[in-house]
Amino acid sequence: MLQEGSEEQIVYVHPLEKSEAEEFETRLVIRAESNTMALASVDPQRIARQRASRQMLFNRILERKARGELRTCLTRFPTEAAAQAAAMSLAEYEEFVFKACLLDRPDPIAAWQEVSAVQQQYVDRLSGVSRLRIEGEGTELELSVRGRRWINSDGKANFPSGEVFTGPVEDSAEGRIHFDIPSVYSGRKVEGIALEFSSGRVVRAQAEKGDDLLQALLNTDGNSRLLGEVAFGLNYSISRATGEILFDEKIGGTVHLALGAGYPETLSRNRSSIHWDMIKDMRREGRVIADGRVIYEKGRFVA
Amino acid sequence: MPDYRVKNLAELLVKYSLRLKKGEWVHITGPAVAEELIRCCQAEALQAGANVSLQVTLPGTNYVFFKHARRDQLRFIPPLERTVVEELDAMISIWGGMNTKELSGIDPQRIALFQAARKPLFARRLEREAKGEFRWVGTLFPTHSSAQDAEMSLSEYEDFVYGAGMVDRPGAIRHWQKVSRRQARLVRFLNRLAEIRVVGEDTDITFRTEGRRWINCDGRVNFPDGEVFTSPIENGTEGYVRYSFPAVYAGREVQGIRLRFEKGRVVEAKAEKNEEFLRAMVKTDSGSCRVGELAFGTNYRIQRFTRNTLFDEKIGGTMHVAIGAALPETGGKNKSGVHWDMVCDTRKGFVVYGDGRPIARDGRFLAGWA
Repeated sequence: MLQEGSEEQIVYVHPLEKSEAEEFETRLVIRAESNTMALASVDPQRIARQRASRQMLFNRILERKARGELRTCLTRFPTEAAAQAAAMSLAEYEEFVFKACLLDRPDPIAAWQEVSAVQQQYVDRLSGVSRLRIEGEGTELELSVRGRRWINSDGKANFPSGEVFTGPVEDSAEGRIHFDIPSVYSGRKVEGIALEFSSGRVVRAQAEKGDDLLQALLNTDGNSRLLGEVAFGLNYSISRATGEILFDEKIGGTVHLALGAGYPETLSRNRSSIHWDMIKDMRREGRVIADGRVIYEKGRFVA
Repeated sequence: MPDYRVKNLAELLVKYSLRLKKGEWVHITGPAVAEELIRCCQAEALQAGANVSLQVTLPGTNYVFFKHARRDQLRFIPPLERTVVEELDAMISIWGGMNTKELSGIDPQRIALFQAARKPLFARRLEREAKGEFRWVGTLFPTHSSAQDAEMSLSEYEDFVYGAGMVDRPGAIRHWQKVSRRQARLVRFLNRLAEIRVVGEDTDITFRTEGRRWINCDGRVNFPDGEVFTSPIENGTEGYVRYSFPAVYAGREVQGIRLRFEKGRVVEAKAEKNEEFLRAMVKTDSGSCRVGELAFGTNYRIQRFTRNTLFDEKIGGTMHVAIGAALPETGGKNKSGVHWDMVCDTRKGFVVYGDGRPIARDGRFLAGWA
């Protein structure tokens, strides 16, 4: 479709897609590629146009989700292609995925209910916080989360999950941060990203690898230099990065920030056509200070 | 109905690469995902009058073996393997699979143990090959997995693979016969030279090749093909080279390699990424710091780097220089457990000199060398 379709065909939205956005009560998306690079040579402009033509539907889905009319869940079925991208055999990758999903536990549903309860405690603690300070290697970043809502991501919208997140106050980020886990954007890896913020905006950015893509994405639109998300990855059954954001952003002992669009349910106001997650490993060193008190150290919330 | 290109490929392997004859025994090995090509090769070989045996591997079985086999099981050689090596007339190896990274998590020493146990068998195979008792050809069946490494969709990758072998049009056998004759002239010319010097961006390197044989790679042993190679004199390499393409060895990728040679030995090895691995490989044994192969890629239907040596080393207008083991048929003597092909793009601003005269410019051999 993206290679052969005419301009009209690419932007054509068929009635089934509309019905999906308007009438579905639940939607389960299962990702399972047989080739993670199948679209590598498609003109990115064509992908962007296809996406833009569905923006209305996408907004409608978000709206219905916020009203509780629609529940969605995204998951991944392990395939050889994804295993190859993670540099694993399929057997190893299946074990990795099922473990991350807590499906290796005797009662996975009970295990996720427990995750939900533990994460709710963090959400409750974070809810009164105004200022967050993230410290670590190459990192001293301050931001405000005052008045924003923290969300307990406990395996309902993403599966597996295991994170708590919010949207920072748009003009608040000050300082610098270095991300040591590669960020993948439509199949391309960007490594060793260092960002510097002033009044919420990225004023300097550099990557050790893939710097051209980083610079291009920062200039996508007027809000792509602002933060849309700050989050703690809390799934300690995931310990290694595999290049798949669904898993990487949940690695237990990491924090991640996203440039671009925020989630309305957090009360984030940032709107952008990108939402790009960047992950920082906090397990060896680093801490998070909330309103002057250390709440998180070496990859774990302090008791 | 199989893809007509797969049928053409099978016909070429049987009639051109192996020239199978009535009554010969041919063994075909390949992964289940290549079933279409396996069946076509079987049919072609039967029509040629040969007797055919098949060995098809299932997805994941390689991983299961290397994961679970004990040391004695890694070293065990089934009598079947011996029979194949001792009695076979010809073999078609079909590569490709579902996951090129399947063995990433396996201790490389286990793989080394497996290979070391098969060394005598491999030597015997080479011996029978040299005597003309045994013929072998290896090819790649395009799958999603290799397409993913090449950053292509499967259909783009199929076009790339079949285009490189010219099996996407009629007359492939005639085409390869022509390639063979043209390269035979090039090889005769190169055989008369004593010294090759390659000059270009960040590169000025000289190899001594006097008395060494250049070999014509015309699609009999590898398919697709298009390369001429030799093993230079072991202590004769001087100068420096920068490899523009990433070099892959045992699943590890090293980028931006720069090597400097004095009296044939690597005296400086640098890389932009994974330098430690490069240095470790160079220091593996006494032969791994010397050049084992010097070659020129001559397949101008291959233009793109795709992370697969079978294709990358044949890109028309490239040179590759391998560190480690020499190829005995050239007269090369360097011994090593390593043979690592590194490909250098010479298509822009490079000149190759033979005994002081320019013989190739911007990746093309100059008229008049034949």
